[in-house]
Amino acid sequence: MKLQRMRIEQVRQFRKPFVLDNLQPGLNLIHGPNESGKSTLVRSIRAAFFERYRSTAVDDLRPWGDSAAAPTIELNFEHDNHTWQLTKSFLQRKRCDLTVGTETYSEDDAEEKLAELLGYQYPQKGISKAKHWGIPGLLWVEQGTGQDIEQAIEHAGDHLKSALNSMVGEVASSGGDDLIEEVRTQRDTLLTGTGKPRGDYLQLEKDRVLYEREIEELKQRVQQYQEQVDRLGKLAQDYDQAEAERPWEEAQRQLEEARTRYQQIEGLEQQQNQEKTTLTQLQQNHRLLQQNKEHLEGLNRQLEGRKAELDRAERDLGLAEAQTPAIAGRLAEARTAYERAEKQRKLAGLVQTRERLEQDVRRLEQQRQVLTQNLAKAKDYHQQLEQARQQARDNRTDSGSVKSLKATANQLNEETIRSRTIATRLSWQLDASAALTLNNESLTGQGEQQLLEESTLVIPGVGTLGITPGGEELASTRRKLKALEDSLEEQLKTLGVESVEQAEDRLSAFESAGRAQKHAEDLLKSVAPAGIEQLVSEQSEAESELEKARSQLQVTPEPDSKEQVPALEEAEAAFGQAGTALDKVESEDREHQARLSALKHSRDNAKTEWQRLADEEKSPERQQQLEQLTTDLANIEKQQTELQASLERREREIREARPDFLRQDIERYQNAVNHLRQTQENRGRELRDIKVRLEAWGAEGLEEQLNEKEAELDQCNRRYEELHRRAQALDLLLNLLTEKRQALTRRLQAPLQKHLNHYLSVLFPEASLEVDEQLMPGTFSRGAELGQITELSFGAREQMGLISRLAYADLLREAGRPTLVILDDTLVHSDSDRLEDMKRILFDAAGRHQILLFTCHPEKWQDLGVPPLDIQASKEQSA
Amino acid sequence: MPKFLHTADWQMGRAFTRFETEDGAALVEARFEAIEKLAQLATEHQCDAVLVAGDVFDAQTVSDRTIRRVFNATQSFSGPWVMLPGNHDAALAESVWTRAERLGAVPGNVHLALQPGVINLEPQKLSILCAPLTQRHTYGDLTEPFTGYESPEGCLRIGLAHGSVQGLLPEEIDSTNPIAPDRAEASRLDYLALGDWHGTKQINERTWYSGTPEPERFRNNEAGNALIVEVSEPGASPKVTCIPTGRYTWHQWRETLSVQSDLEQLLQRLTDLPDSAVVDLRLEGSITLAGEQTLLKALSVAEARFRSLRCERSGLQLAPTDEDIAALKADGYVGEVIENLRQRQEGTQDDAARDALAILAGLLREREQEASQ
Repeated sequence: MKLQRMRIEQVRQFRKPFVLDNLQPGLNLIHGPNESGKSTLVRSIRAAFFERYRSTAVDDLRPWGDSAAAPTIELNFEHDNHTWQLTKSFLQRKRCDLTVGTETYSEDDAEEKLAELLGYQYPQKGISKAKHWGIPGLLWVEQGTGQDIEQAIEHAGDHLKSALNSMVGEVASSGGDDLIEEVRTQRDTLLTGTGKPRGDYLQLEKDRVLYEREIEELKQRVQQYQEQVDRLGKLAQDYDQAEAERPWEEAQRQLEEARTRYQQIEGLEQQQNQEKTTLTQLQQNHRLLQQNKEHLEGLNRQLEGRKAELDRAERDLGLAEAQTPAIAGRLAEARTAYERAEKQRKLAGLVQTRERLEQDVRRLEQQRQVLTQNLAKAKDYHQQLEQARQQARDNRTDSGSVKSLKATANQLNEETIRSRTIATRLSWQLDASAALTLNNESLTGQGEQQLLEESTLVIPGVGTLGITPGGEELASTRRKLKALEDSLEEQLKTLGVESVEQAEDRLSAFESAGRAQKHAEDLLKSVAPAGIEQLVSEQSEAESELEKARSQLQVTPEPDSKEQVPALEEAEAAFGQAGTALDKVESEDREHQARLSALKHSRDNAKTEWQRLADEEKSPERQQQLEQLTTDLANIEKQQTELQASLERREREIREARPDFLRQDIERYQNAVNHLRQTQENRGRELRDIKVRLEAWGAEGLEEQLNEKEAELDQCNRRYEELHRRAQALDLLLNLLTEKRQALTRRLQAPLQKHLNHYLSVLFPEASLEVDEQLMPGTFSRGAELGQITELSFGAREQMGLISRLAYADLLREAGRPTLVILDDTLVHSDSDRLEDMKRILFDAAGRHQILLFTCHPEKWQDLGVPPLDIQASKEQSA
Repeated sequence: MPKFLHTADWQMGRAFTRFETEDGAALVEARFEAIEKLAQLATEHQCDAVLVAGDVFDAQTVSDRTIRRVFNATQSFSGPWVMLPGNHDAALAESVWTRAERLGAVPGNVHLALQPGVINLEPQKLSILCAPLTQRHTYGDLTEPFTGYESPEGCLRIGLAHGSVQGLLPEEIDSTNPIAPDRAEASRLDYLALGDWHGTKQINERTWYSGTPEPERFRNNEAGNALIVEVSEPGASPKVTCIPTGRYTWHQWRETLSVQSDLEQLLQRLTDLPDSAVVDLRLEGSITLAGEQTLLKALSVAEARFRSLRCERSGLQLAPTDEDIAALKADGYVGEVIENLRQRQEGTQDDAARDALAILAGLLREREQEASQ
């Protein structure tokens, strides 16, 4: 297919007709700057083929604002030695005309013819999209989509295959792909992608399990039912048999028998017990009588015993009485000793009292003497103290005042000396006759005076000399001196002394009086700490005590000096011992008396007892009693023998009847009766239960239900088998068809690979790009590099895309299909080296295909070896 | 001259598996109709009694409705019916019979022989010696006591039993419920009415199996009849008339197709069958695609006509001829697939391959038809 001429009118910015003429069979470089209409030209070619002439969705073709426009595209091309002319108008004038050689087509026919020629399809409605573009979508590359080879190949799919059919000849199948789709659809209603059942098939599988379970349950219930029926049969038989035989009645009879027998034995046992009681009474009676008899027979023996007891009592008494004098002697002795000790003790006490009183008198005399001495001393000291106090009162002087007086005196002294140093000294040495009068004082002889004040010296005969002592201080010194003199005078007066020395003397006398007073006080305190009055009263007290002690001593008798008087302590101890000894002997005596009286008493008792027995033994009644007793005993013994024989007999009888076994028999028969009746009742109950149960179950029609369920399962199974087989068959069929079709595709693979390698060797001499079964360029390898085409850089992918498209073009050309290649500003991402290679490739491909290369970068393609076609220039030309 | 109708093995309450639901229901219904027909026949032939030799019910626990319907169906014959429990409906302690009685479904003229013994129908001059099964299986001959049974003077001694006559029936060796082959003679019976064998079968002059009145299986053994028995007087030879009662005829064919004429013959035989047929076909051998198309069409027609038609074709290989394939216009790889499937089918008897081929042929044919329209 070779596009020769293109004319457009009222398409976007081409409001006026625009013609692109002289298109070459090989490479055509069409360039123009942005907005020059390059894209419009590309869009026009696409619209002419892809868009339905009657489409209302192609507003983009309309020149801006021109609603009355009828965008028209006219294409002239050559294919298969025929000239084709296509004229298509949109929107305001919807038309399509196609002339092929001498034949003309219009409207839909024309469009179908074109679609068939190029291998694409129209959209149902709206604008044509990539999925409709088929083979041209692969060969006409839009700006910026050169790398998206896979999508393009996918969209070209069926068209490619049918276009390539002629190449693979008989193996292609018309409608084979539809068939595969149909088989796939049918298979997919039964099986999932992984071959698992789905839909009805799956449901049947589930139903089957459900039915089987239901059937199993029903079978179990039927079996249960049958078991119950069997049980019912068995029970009914047993029940009827028992009802006929009535075994419990026999047991009942045996029970009655056993009871009667047992009652008899019970009667015997009662009798036996009565007789045993009688026997016991007899035995007791016998024992009493025997005792009585023994009692009577034992009197003599008792009498002897009593006599012996009496003798023993007498003897004991005799012995005790013999001890009496010895005990009385010991008692008297003890009393004497006691009295003696007591007397000694009193004497010792008296001696001790006298000694104590004599001591007291001595002590008190001494005390009185001391007190008298002290009193004398105290009176002396008191006098001294009074003297000292007097002296202190006479010389009382304040030591502070004296100190201050002395200070003032010292200060006056110092000031006086100072005044002398600064005073005007007037010395004179007068002739003995001469006299002067100074300040009204006459001066004679020799002397010296210090003048502190203005003075007047009258020199008789001369006149008067006025002397004024100089110096500033003189006045103040003079005043100070005066003040001090005054102060001294004052102080002396206060102290009442004439001079400082006198003041000091007085102070000294005062202080020595104070000391004397202190000394006298201390002395007085040493002899009379509580005062003299106290001392006096003490003395009189001691006096009276002494008096009292002397009088006591006088009244105390003086012991006989001949007598040996022991110490008081010794006497006390001897007295204590004598008391204790006396107590002991007295208590011995008491005991002895008590024992004596007890022995007497027991001797009297024994005598009475012995007397009574002796009387009794001799009575006649006793003999009579003894005879009576002997007779009675003989009677009782006879009765006992008879009774014992009877008891033994009956005992044997009872033992032989085995009453314990009889009791057990009764229990056993009773149990048997109960058990037999119970069993029968249980049977009856179970019978009723089972009947009720069976009636209920029977009404359900279990086996009929089971039959029906089995029929349903069978049907389900059949249906399942059918679907199963169908699923298997469809799966197989699909696999086979797919396999075969893939084999077919593989046969196209080789030539495509060949063409691809042709271009690839120019671009990457060492590389390989493999075409997969879907006829897609897939694995790319270059040296150690291995990967998918999609992993390459954008530029490389674009280059790969382009050479793949060219390879497809070659394949299509071999199949005799039209191949027009349109590239819209492609390869903009290629570097200059690659671009160079691509130029070689494009030049090579242009030898087989017409290639329209639209670009806005003509400078990049200068070396393509073809004259560029300038849209701008052509526009002007057209205009 | 006493005359009675001998029938057996009604098997009421049986459900039919292996049929479409609708067909199964119709077959069940036909069994009720068969009872009605028996009653009619008894009336028409002025029978004195109807004797049912066991297996009236197929199971003990059938639904109440089934029980009632069975007794309802006997209505049109008002003479005495004697029904004998068989192995399917043995007179156990609790049985379908006790339930029928409890339901009050048993009409007055129907005698249930639930105990071994004699049922005397004196007005009809018939003395029926009954050997009911009172357990599911017995291994002794229940008819043995017949010898000891007395019957009123002038009455026919008719034995009624259910089981296998020993030594005479095929496939029944060591079977349960045995019956001595000379029972009729040994027990001085005028006739021994037997049940259990579903086909009509004479054992000896006085001993018959009536068979079931409506067939219920494919095994072809003369099922679907009732017997009308006439005995002029005690000791006289019975006159037995076999009357067909079955509504549906059951056919089970196993055919091998190899050449075109086999198919044609088969189709002809199908055409010849009555509408009341229940057909089970199993085809083997091979068939061309065209032949299969013909077969399918014929089966479709027959399916609509017959009560039931089932055809198992999994053993029938598809052998497409070149013309077949040409007709399907299966070119290119689809043609290869057909060839591949054909080889698989022949080589390994692969069911899936056969089915796949059939599906593929069907799809191609559809496509052809669409194209030609």
